[in-house]
Amino acid sequence: MRGLTHEAAPTPARTELPRLWSFQAGEYVTALECSPDGSACLVGLGDGTLLALDLASGGELFRVRALDAGILALAVSPDSRFIALGGQSPRGAIWTTTGESVRALPSGSAAWIEHVAWSPRGQRLATAGGRNVRIWTDSGDPVVETEPLASSATGLAWRSDGTALATSCYGGVHVLPFAARAKQRHLAWKGSLISLAWSPDGKIIACGSQDASVHFWRLASGRDSEMSGYPFKPKALAWDRESKLLATSGDAVVTVWDFRGKGPEGTKPLQLAAHRGVCTRLAFSPHGSTLASGSQDTSVLLWDPRRGSKPTRFAFLDDEVTALKWHPARPLLLGADASGRIAAWHASRG
Amino acid sequence: MSKIPVTVLTGFLGSGKTTLLNRILREEHGKRIAVIENEFGEIGIDQALVINADEEVFEMNNGCICCTVRGDLIRILTSLMKRRDKFDHVLVETTGMADPGPVAQTFFVDDELRELFKLDSIVTLVDAKHVQLHLEDSSECQEQIAFADVIVLNKTDLVSSEELNALERRIRAMNAVAKLQRARNADVPIADVLDVGGFDLERAMAHKPTFLTPEYPFEWSGSYALNEGRYELNLAEGPDPSMDVVVQMLGPSEEAQAPAALERAVRTWAEDIREIRPGAELAPGAEGPFRLLLDAPGLKHFSLRVPSASRVGIYTQHLPTEFSLQLTHAGAIIAALSEREFAAGHSHDAEVTSVGIHLEPAIDGDRLNQWLSQLLRDQGTDIFRMKGILNIRGSEKRFVFQGVHMLFDGREDRAWGDGARASDLVFIGRNLDREQLIRGFSQCVA
Repeated sequence: MRGLTHEAAPTPARTELPRLWSFQAGEYVTALECSPDGSACLVGLGDGTLLALDLASGGELFRVRALDAGILALAVSPDSRFIALGGQSPRGAIWTTTGESVRALPSGSAAWIEHVAWSPRGQRLATAGGRNVRIWTDSGDPVVETEPLASSATGLAWRSDGTALATSCYGGVHVLPFAARAKQRHLAWKGSLISLAWSPDGKIIACGSQDASVHFWRLASGRDSEMSGYPFKPKALAWDRESKLLATSGDAVVTVWDFRGKGPEGTKPLQLAAHRGVCTRLAFSPHGSTLASGSQDTSVLLWDPRRGSKPTRFAFLDDEVTALKWHPARPLLLGADASGRIAAWHASRG
Repeated sequence: MSKIPVTVLTGFLGSGKTTLLNRILREEHGKRIAVIENEFGEIGIDQALVINADEEVFEMNNGCICCTVRGDLIRILTSLMKRRDKFDHVLVETTGMADPGPVAQTFFVDDELRELFKLDSIVTLVDAKHVQLHLEDSSECQEQIAFADVIVLNKTDLVSSEELNALERRIRAMNAVAKLQRARNADVPIADVLDVGGFDLERAMAHKPTFLTPEYPFEWSGSYALNEGRYELNLAEGPDPSMDVVVQMLGPSEEAQAPAALERAVRTWAEDIREIRPGAELAPGAEGPFRLLLDAPGLKHFSLRVPSASRVGIYTQHLPTEFSLQLTHAGAIIAALSEREFAAGHSHDAEVTSVGIHLEPAIDGDRLNQWLSQLLRDQGTDIFRMKGILNIRGSEKRFVFQGVHMLFDGREDRAWGDGARASDLVFIGRNLDREQLIRGFSQCVA
């Protein structure tokens, strides 16, 4: 009914991505991150397991049952020493990247901790569980808890300079300042926001909405816009490193809005069509303009949206793609799927 | 990939939801159930996953007035799929005063949930003793009954069997297709609440004989033994400016409420109406009904001429007591030999009722689509549930569909085969106009 098929291969991109290594974790991969120092790949699984793999070889570094229920959120501290975890439990946790438990992170209610985010310089950790957002020190001591939101948090992101924290929920986005004299802001919108992405230059907050649209706010002017017409709710959002392109996924098609010039309002977005199933993950490379997209149909595609609308590289996993992350420094892409398959690909030639 | 069935448990506080939930969780049925609870309970069961969530009802911003969904369910159920090997049924318990609409709509509206889950049934628990307090004036209580696929009439030991029968009739009039179960301490067989396939229409349609019990256009009938001569029909002031009446001859020992007599009366009722003013004459056996114009003040008299001694049936649009209606002869009041009141769906506009329509000729798909779209646009908020098995022209297969408010899902089902082809359609809602629905559906005949 929505063109969701699983049998067909995507339109062939020119060449397959060379696979560096692959690993079978045996459980649904719910979260995956590269440590900022580029040494490890940290993976959260559906049964609460935290898995660490050596980024160069794909060898297992450690595997621990870090939460008693499925992991939903995982973030590595900027100094690569700590891992914050949230999951299907009212208690999150901090672990070290060497596999030792540091402390628990209670949500403050019966709600699950669904989002965790370290501030860019690592002094603060934010967690969101239900309607509560809590801020912790890097060692896990509580600093502050915000007033309960109007409904459960659906997205959490720091401004790239660490001066503010944004939380999305039904009814809009709350921006909490972490700078002297700055005021709290509420970017109101009557609708259920389900995802959040703050542009790297800090100027625009974009959100996907349950009613199949993308909403964004230009923070300087407060002007907001709604891009509607998606056939499916846009859960995956990604900014390029220059904060000019916003990739969004509706169904199988990736829609890219161009913020250069007067756009994207009134412009026609770039439509990247090659996946055969719903696009579930999007990630712009931090060192170029390459966009990676993963889909329910098991395919991973690379695109160069500034040059054209055809995929440039392809790869496959075994099941629905549930995570896609770039190495912070090298042209290395990591992906994982619902079957537990984790893979690393070289993306240098392109 | 098979979809995971979802059971929604609704009912007022004290109706026995928690008791039933505990029984479902404790009984050996080999299922691992994920329970989404909205009130803190003390349930802690190994084989079940119990999740507490605050009901977060979201309005969709797409201009559809009845598109409200449960945001918490979308987040939780999507995330639970990441451990799908560990449960095979989902039970959602709603708070006592919850409107079941948003829960049900969530499974139609959300892209992901629609792919992963199927709403199996809405089970409503009713406290047989206390529900009377809520039935009249609580729209939540009425809606919980209207939305249900299964209604558990609980605590039956606290009421008399007459009260229970009356309550069951009352509930049946509101929701003609739900499966009704009686229980004392929520002790219904688990198989009757889980995997009932409430949205699988076979079972719902098995109730056809009940829900197709015709509704009558009149509220009262009376049988009289009259001699040849002139009688008087006297009416005092009543709630309406007019009342329709059919007067017909009956067989020698026939009652006005005998099925054949009722059928003749209904036919006569459908003919052209003759308006008459006080003083005018009614005759038994007229081709259509009389409309007695009653806008003049005070007592009104109409005459009734009986050509020869006979039994006569009188059928009135409203109850005779509403107009202090009397039949007299030479000043003496003539009592009815027998009488019957009919519950008329059209007379209590705000009530929740069911309308079932059975139609044998094949339906034109496009016309049906147009009619339903218009109907749901106009009355989507008042139509709670809609179910149907349709005989579509040009298709060898049955088309089954069901909806919640303005949202509906339909698909081709098994082939008709040698069985008789016919469409059955049921609406459950408020302010339903039976005649208008029948007319609308009949106009879809190919």
